[in-house]
Amino acid sequence: MAEKNKARLTKVLDYLKYDDPFSKGVSFCPGCGLELLLRFIPRVLGNDIIITGTPSCSAPVLLGQNKQSWHTLSYFGTLMTGAAANATGLVRYYKKAGIDNTVVCFNGDGTANDIGFGNLSGAAERNEPFIYICYDNEGYMNTGIQKSGTTPYGATTTTTPYGTVHKGKNLRRMNLGVKMAMNKIPYTATATLSDLEDLAKKLLKAKKAKERGFCFLHVFAPCPTGWGANPADTIEICRQAVKTNYFPLWEAENGKIRMTKTVKKPKPVSNYTKLMKKFNHMTEADLEILQEDVEYETCLLGGLSVLEAECQLPVSAQD
Amino acid sequence: MSSNQYFNHEGPWSEATDSLMCTDTGDWRSKRPVVDKEKCIFCGFCAIYCPIQVMEMTADSCFEPDLDFCKGCGICAKECPKGAITMVSEGEFVS
Ligand SMILES: Cc1ncc(C[n+]2csc(CCOP(=O)(O)OP(=O)(O)O)c2C)c(N)n1
Ligand code: SF4
Ligand code: SF4
Ligand code: SF4
Repeated sequence: MAEKNKARLTKVLDYLKYDDPFSKGVSFCPGCGLELLLRFIPRVLGNDIIITGTPSCSAPVLLGQNKQSWHTLSYFGTLMTGAAANATGLVRYYKKAGIDNTVVCFNGDGTANDIGFGNLSGAAERNEPFIYICYDNEGYMNTGIQKSGTTPYGATTTTTPYGTVHKGKNLRRMNLGVKMAMNKIPYTATATLSDLEDLAKKLLKAKKAKERGFCFLHVFAPCPTGWGANPADTIEICRQAVKTNYFPLWEAENGKIRMTKTVKKPKPVSNYTKLMKKFNHMTEADLEILQEDVEYETCLLGGLSVLEAECQLPVSAQD
Repeated sequence: MSSNQYFNHEGPWSEATDSLMCTDTGDWRSKRPVVDKEKCIFCGFCAIYCPIQVMEMTADSCFEPDLDFCKGCGICAKECPKGAITMVSEGEFVS
């Protein structure tokens, strides 16, 4: 080994300061993006965080079975309709009890963008001091891959199948991250698993910013099982999602959007879609619609980041 | 469900005498990652991207998967910048 040319160990390892609180053998599918994210969060934020979450792919592992547990974190399982409301209750209790800790409300896109959106929105308005993390696998995976509000145009799911009548989802996807940033909460960010250093930084920023109120992280986490992707491609899918601007990386403090990764020459969205079967049936014309949607969102984001830099928030200079 | 030899503290839901649950996810695998120590430059990418975090640092500055739990997803092999990891069919290891 002596003569070997060793590189510097990746900086990401420096962010992993705490032990992995999860058991080694937990039942997520091979290559699941959610599993990588879930193990990553407490290793960066610490094992003393309190996680709350809803029925979803994360629940069987977070909730445990019968009297046994898969991890050593404190977890509070809630209904899909009340995720953020329950987290609110927890932070208020801890505040009253004088306990200083971090509550992480960890949910899928089905909860965050659809079923539990009402109370997510309410918690953002009231500026409740916790971190809401939405792992976006673009559908309701745990119940059998149904479409959600963040499922992209054209994607096939079990409720938007491909056949003679339907050609996958015929609606565009909603932009949950921007929607939350527009609430001018202390911290909003998007992140994904190909860029773990960026994700770690954003987690730590959120932990700080939650002193000032509500923080929201929108994390793109591929689901090989539901998307018909090769499990080995999970990270590559994230990388292509960033390179094609399909899932741009940005952060927003009090709504002021700043790109954390600028893609100078975005690749065509087909570089991303070809990695999974859910887009297999799409024609050139369909891909064009998706491409235009991606460009529209990117343009909007660029516009917002310029505008927000120029505009001053009129109310509440209380921060 | 095997009893876990890797943790000896209890979970919040478990009884004081119970250890954490643990599934033998190594049994799911049809291909296993094999690391070529000569090619490995010790960058750690395989370790950070492994969803179940089973790529462990070895004393001779390399990484090895914990085959009791590696699910054989192939992410480490795909992400290794030096192509030092090959996915080899489990059939090759049956004696
Ligand atoms: C109010 C309500 N509606 C429906 C369900 C059934 N249900 C359980 S898990 C699930 C899917 C959750 O999807 P998501 O939050 O995106 O997480 P994922 O499964 O994708 O990880 C649904 C719809 C429920 N538990 N509660
Ligand atoms: S269905 Fe998808 S999100 Fe759920 S555990 Fe499997 S890969 Fe992960
Ligand atoms: S990714 Fe490849 S080169 Fe880097 S540490 Fe792992 S095996 Fe070695
Ligand atoms: S094959 Fe997958 S589970 Fe096994 S060590 Fe590599 S990345 Fe980890």
